[in-house]
Parts: sequence; structure tokens; C-alpha cells
Amino acid sequence: MENKEALNTLNDIKEMMERSSKFKAISGLSIIIIGILASLVSAYIYFFLGDYHINTPAKWQTTIIVAFCLLVVAFLTVFFMAFLKAKRHNLRFTFDTTMRRLLLNFFIPMVAGGLLCIALLTQQHYGLVSSITLIFYGLALINSSHFSYSELRYLGYAELILGLIDCFLVDYAVLTWFLGFGMLHIVFGIIFMLKYERRK
Amino acid sequence: MIANLDGLNKAFESKIRLGIMSVLMANESVDFTTMKSLLELTDGNLASHARSLEELGYIRCEKKFIGRKPNTSYSITDEGRDAFSAHIQALENFLKNQV
Repeated sequence: MENKEALNTLNDIKEMMERSSKFKAISGLSIIIIGILASLVSAYIYFFLGDYHINTPAKWQTTIIVAFCLLVVAFLTVFFMAFLKAKRHNLRFTFDTTMRRLLLNFFIPMVAGGLLCIALLTQQHYGLVSSITLIFYGLALINSSHFSYSELRYLGYAELILGLIDCFLVDYAVLTWFLGFGMLHIVFGIIFMLKYERRK
Repeated sequence: MIANLDGLNKAFESKIRLGIMSVLMANESVDFTTMKSLLELTDGNLASHARSLEELGYIRCEKKFIGRKPNTSYSITDEGRDAFSAHIQALENFLKNQV
């Protein structure tokens, strides 16, 4: 057996283990796009409200509707661009175990966090909602990093830390959303693209 | 140089069998169709290699029906996990001795 052959075999094994258990079609550009969208939406909320304070039910209502639309648009963007990336790079894009596991592990914390936020809002506890959205989003990313690019967990850690800091601050909801959902995505997306999608 | 080839398992010499084992190392259980598309194999090809691994006791094959469709899924046995780890270890040792 040649040296090279042994090395190739080990690489094949590693690649096959990765490919069969991880969803690799996430596009870096889509992460940047949702970062930009989130920044714009935060800016809109900020100017719409006139200040940082989201302290009345009416203001919350608008914020929630806008945020929910953003979530849906962001998800569709990631999904659609993953589809394009899979097509371009000949990756698998079927509703198989890897995709199912990724979606499940992402949405369990997201849905739990979402329901918690709804409960808090209906009881008029507005203070912690912004940090809870960031914390649960961070946990969702950490959780799903096992089933996709493992680097996603760093974005998750960053969101989590930002969310926890936000717990102790009052009235910075829009700013932390801007940083967490906007800036962090853009920065992470750029690093991600440099690492995985640079043209060789 | 005398290469140290101890521990290389003959059962994993075939690329297909190596692929099947790699996939099963990383996943709890994998069904026939997924395995086929992952390794880009034909039905017969996968079935025969899977059977030989099953006969060695390295993998487990579970056949059941989902509705009326037969569904075969594979999972690795403890024995298979040990054998495959030993095989990887042997490959790594071999590379180390070369350096």
C-alpha cells in the first residue's frame, strides 16, 4: 500500500462521515443578506418609534409583525439560496435525514423561545423579550451546528452572549437586535464566505 | 522499508464497503435509498456489499414495512465499530511510520 493511498482512504472516510451526517448547502451570501435585511428592519423600527423605547402595546404590535415578517423572509432566503448552492455544487438537497435533523434542531429552540416571548408579551412583561429572542436564536444555532457547518456555533455563542448582556440592560432592544441580527450576521457571513466560498 | 500493515482489515479493502462503514459510523441508522444515493451505487451493488458486511457481523440490517413499501435500514454493530476503528488506527499508524 502506498503512502498516498492510505491518506486518500482516510480522507474518503472523513468526507463520507461528514457528507452523510451534515447539511452543507448553506450559503454565506444568504447569511450576509439576512444581516443586511435585519439591519434595515432595525433601522426602520428605530425611526418608526422615534426612540429606543418600545413600551406600548401598539409599538410592540408593529415590532412583532415586522420582526415576524423578517423571520419568514430570512428563512426563505436561506432556504432558496441553499437550494441554489446545492445545485451549483452538486450537493444533495432533498428532504432527507440531514436536512430534517438540521431543521428540527434549529426550530425546537426557536419555537420554544417564540412561545416564551408570546407568553411574556401577552402578560405585558416587555423587558426581557429582546434578550430572549437573541438567547434562543443563539441556542438554536449552537444546537444545529452539529448537523451543518460546525462554525455556526460561534455565531450562536456571539448571539447568546449578546442576549445575556441585553438581559441586564434596559431599553436597548432595538440596538441589540441591530447588532445581533444585523451586524453579527454580516460579519459572520463575510468570514464564512472567505473561508468556504472563495474562488480558487 | 518494512511497512507496518498489521491491523488492516481485508473486509474494508473495497471502497464501497469502506463507504458503507463510514456512513454508518456517523449515523445511527441509514435507510437503503439514502445510502444508495450517498455512495452513488446501484441497488444490487449496495445489497451485495451490505450483505457481506452483515455476514461478518459488522452491520445490522433491519427490514420493515412502511405502509406497503418495504424499507431496509442499516446500522453498525459494536463489533463493526471496533473493527472499523481498528482499521482507521492501522491506517494512521502506517502513515506515522512512513514519516
